[in-house]
Amino acid sequence: MQNKIEVTMGGGAVTAAPHIISSSGLGSCVVVTLYDTERKLGGLAHIMLPDSISLNGSHPAYKCADTAITTLIKELRSMRASPRNMVAKLVGGAKMFLSSDDFGPCIGEQNIISVKRILKRRRIPVIAENTGSNYGRSVEFYLDSGKVMVRAIGREDKEI
Amino acid sequence: MNDKKQLLSAEQVDFLTEMMNIGAGNTATALTQVLQCPVDIVLPRVFVIADAQELSILTSPSLPVVCVRMNMVGDVSGGLFLIVPEEQKEDLIRLAEQAMTGTGQSWRAGITNSKADDLKLSVIAEIGNIVAGVYLTAVHDFCKLNIYHTVPTVATDMVQALLDESLVRLSRQVQHIIVIENEFMVEEKLIKTFLVMIPSVESVDILVNSIGQARIAMVKDGG
Repeated sequence: MQNKIEVTMGGGAVTAAPHIISSSGLGSCVVVTLYDTERKLGGLAHIMLPDSISLNGSHPAYKCADTAITTLIKELRSMRASPRNMVAKLVGGAKMFLSSDDFGPCIGEQNIISVKRILKRRRIPVIAENTGSNYGRSVEFYLDSGKVMVRAIGREDKEI
Repeated sequence: MNDKKQLLSAEQVDFLTEMMNIGAGNTATALTQVLQCPVDIVLPRVFVIADAQELSILTSPSLPVVCVRMNMVGDVSGGLFLIVPEEQKEDLIRLAEQAMTGTGQSWRAGITNSKADDLKLSVIAEIGNIVAGVYLTAVHDFCKLNIYHTVPTVATDMVQALLDESLVRLSRQVQHIIVIENEFMVEEKLIKTFLVMIPSVESVDILVNSIGQARIAMVKDGG
């Protein structure tokens, strides 16, 4: 029995093969998938912000890049996954409107830079990504293979 | 997360709804003039959402839409969006074309496809311009707030993808999103639009206080 877990903006989930984790409507948000290639366990976070420093008080763990990745790794470890076997994939971080520079540098790019820096520090390689540009994306993460399917309106589906 | 104290009370949301009813009525009048055919309005529904994640109550996050993005400047700053589901885009454009040419014949004849798409989107941008102006006027009349909107930009994509950057940017702390769901009847076609106001963190207090004061003033006047 294959279950599909839908993750909303600012949310996250971990599960094992043969299930699927999906998330839709990514613009500047970034989806990070972590996958333990040995045990076929993985997690997905739909990250909204590059860091949690600017947030006062508590916030959902998966909302910000730093806390989201820490939480994913912790959750996966509790399922006996090993960070040494983990690989990451990134999707999203687009700039949807041409003139969205009125409030400073674009969030999508900041999100990607931040996620990559954190993963590097954790020594988790980014083995594939579909990021940037100016269109929205939806993702499906297949835990049996670790593949991530990226869908966008008016574009062919892309497997990374 | 006690910093959400600024949420509007139930009475204030009712008042806001009433304000938006006036806005909707005026929008119908404006659209009747622009489209040159009778536009009837179904009373709008107003939602005040405290968290970006709750937007998914209203629509599927992956719904394809045309989105007109503007900024609010003046007494209240922030983001302002008019959202039209993709499936209704063509209806709206056809009506606008009819009004412009007077015949229903396309004024785009002879224009290459990609250029024609740009023109179509600019028609939607213009409608966004009009609707935003009318609603902000209603807010001004009730709350004595001067809010202006900037020049619109348009994009077509999944609704959440188009909104997420502004949601994130404008609502790092207190999240306070006003969504006005409008339904218009034009030539027996139902056109549904969403107007989304995302006041910046600095403006939320001003907006909420003004709504509160205007409501009290109105209750007194009404006896």
